[in-house]
Amino acid sequence: MSNYLNLSFFKVLILIYPFFISNLLADDVRIKINSGQVEPLPIAIADFTGEEGKANEIGRQIAEVISNNLVGSGQFKAVESAAFIAPPTSPSVRPNFTDWTPLGIKALITGSVKSINEQQIEVEFRLWDIIAETDLIGLRLSVDAQAWRRVAHIISDEIFERLSGDSGYFDTRIVYVAESGPQNKRLKRLAIMDQDGENHQYLTDGSFLVLTPRFSPTTQEITYLAYFKNEPRVYIFNLETGEQELLGSFPGMTFAPRFSPFGDKIIMSLAEKGITDIYTMNLNNQEVIRLTNSSSIDTSPSFSPNGKKIIFNSDRGGSQQIYIMDANGRNVKRISFGKGRYATPVWAPKGELIAFTKMLKNKFYIGVMSPDGSGERLLAEGYLVEGPTWAPNGRVLMYFKQEAPIDDGKSSNVNLYKIDITGFRETRVITPSDGSDPAWSPLIPN
Amino acid sequence: MFKSTFISIGLHVFFIIFAYYGLPSFKIKEPIESPIDIVEDTPISSKTSLKLGETRVKEVKENKKVIKKEKVKKTPPPPAPSKKMVEKKNAELKKKKEIREIAELVKKKPKLNKKKVKKDLPPKVEKKPEKIKNKQKENLAKGILNTLTKPIKKIENSKKVEKEHNNTEILKKIKKIAGNSNRQVQQTEIKLSVTDINKIQNHVTKYWNVSYAASEVKMVITLKISTNVDGSIKSVKIYDKNLYQKDKFYRATADTARRAVLDSSPLPLPKGKEKKFENFLFDFDTSFINNY
Repeated sequence: MSNYLNLSFFKVLILIYPFFISNLLADDVRIKINSGQVEPLPIAIADFTGEEGKANEIGRQIAEVISNNLVGSGQFKAVESAAFIAPPTSPSVRPNFTDWTPLGIKALITGSVKSINEQQIEVEFRLWDIIAETDLIGLRLSVDAQAWRRVAHIISDEIFERLSGDSGYFDTRIVYVAESGPQNKRLKRLAIMDQDGENHQYLTDGSFLVLTPRFSPTTQEITYLAYFKNEPRVYIFNLETGEQELLGSFPGMTFAPRFSPFGDKIIMSLAEKGITDIYTMNLNNQEVIRLTNSSSIDTSPSFSPNGKKIIFNSDRGGSQQIYIMDANGRNVKRISFGKGRYATPVWAPKGELIAFTKMLKNKFYIGVMSPDGSGERLLAEGYLVEGPTWAPNGRVLMYFKQEAPIDDGKSSNVNLYKIDITGFRETRVITPSDGSDPAWSPLIPN
Repeated sequence: MFKSTFISIGLHVFFIIFAYYGLPSFKIKEPIESPIDIVEDTPISSKTSLKLGETRVKEVKENKKVIKKEKVKKTPPPPAPSKKMVEKKNAELKKKKEIREIAELVKKKPKLNKKKVKKDLPPKVEKKPEKIKNKQKENLAKGILNTLTKPIKKIENSKKVEKEHNNTEILKKIKKIAGNSNRQVQQTEIKLSVTDINKIQNHVTKYWNVSYAASEVKMVITLKISTNVDGSIKSVKIYDKNLYQKDKFYRATADTARRAVLDSSPLPLPKGKEKKFENFLFDFDTSFINNY
């Protein structure tokens, strides 16, 4: 039996050998391509077609939102629809690729909107590779007609992921501090909106001052700091239920706590007798652990994505710099050595970068560096730029920027901006009023 | 009883031995002196010499023709050739002569083979017994044929040796003229130069547009390409289909590489080396993004 098997094995080997050899011989030329361009990809986004007027209008709006999202990411360049030779009729119809190649388009997005009933719509889309003449992805979604904008964000995420490989960040929200009124009587309210500035809502009425909202990395919850009768209190706000919970009063707190990567702990800095140290609190049993114990000011702590390290800023070396330590407070090490002062370090969701605010020669900067302090790059600058927050895919940063004051007694404009980590594309996020302290949510669960 | 059987056996043995040794014509045919003389005179010489004579005549004619051609060439001589020119021409002529000699030798080769075939079926030898009427003559002819077979074999053997000798001569002459024959064989192999590769690299590089997320791809993306002779892309296949299905970064970046190859069609293939690119591989390396 074994002999037979051996024989048959050798027979198979003899049979496949020529194919194997011919295959090897055929591919003896190998050319390495180790250079290329990192430029926006030219894409065409055709209006989603609809059977009747309302569906047509929604289709047009969906295409517009997708276009804004993709172009806003800095990774895509939309070709004007006026240049289209033959706009596609339906996503199920294979486009004539030769109509699109002269425009330099590499990818085409087609879609349709159908009314299922008075309330529900069915949105379908397809992404085509014009050069390879093939479809890359297709999806059909049935949603409430009111939620067409969210559908557009979900489709944008799908396209972004398929073309870049990275997760999208369009179906996300921003919580920020909406500011209004004169400088001496500033009204600060908590507000929420889609990442593109749409669907804006106020969460607080402005009866008390709110500061530094922070998103939970796992749930649709935020922490924020509110001054109630001049006493700093920390609240946890559940955005899905609208309920908020008082976590406690923390005298001497200047920044709201941040969540740990798993959402079970918060990390914060508390001032006592002129000394500010870093603490963690277990949200299940309210146990508080002191991590640093120095005579300096240690603030702005942030967990690494795996929860094993903490970065913070401290003036223990004489000037404000960024330090790293283990999650238990040991092995403290300085990582920033550039000129100027460093503040508000935030670990990127993938852990490969740390965003920070830098102050140098009366100017503020937003920059990134590796967790070991190497590769510092400054992305944005201004009279006052501060408070970076990461998009969930770690490719875009949002922060606020204040213009230099022009007239006495009047506050200068404070606005939200986002920039991709290449630093090439900075765009302003339109808000109804001034905005500061943004916090980017994780992807909204379906 | 026993005696008689012994006697009969003994007699039988005696008769057999006597018959065997006493009657030599049973074992070996006795050679006849006179026919041997005839064999030496006519048949061998006439048969072989005729054929050889024919080839010689042809050779002479061929030589004459060659000479005539040379003469034709020589008719318009240069007005005042310098010594160097003469030397050069002599060298060229020598070379040409050598080449012709080789060509002749090579030409002779198949002729010899043809002769061989003819000799294997010699019509004249077969016809002869028909002409002879007497039995004695037939016997003589048989005897001649018997004797002929041996020298013919010897001739064939000697011709084989001659052919081998000729072959070695041809090879020697070819080597003299062409130098090292191995070098020539190597030159016939299609080899790609660095510039050939660089040209294609630079061409494809222009079309490769990747996103920053491609830095997540920590391995080389291999594409299997087949091209037409004019450099146009016949097909592009992503080598690691398993990873293409599993890894979203790999998939997206492999798509950018595929687009680059298709966009860059036709490839600037080096002339005369198109065959090398019928099937080949592109290795796309994203490590350059880290320097952006």
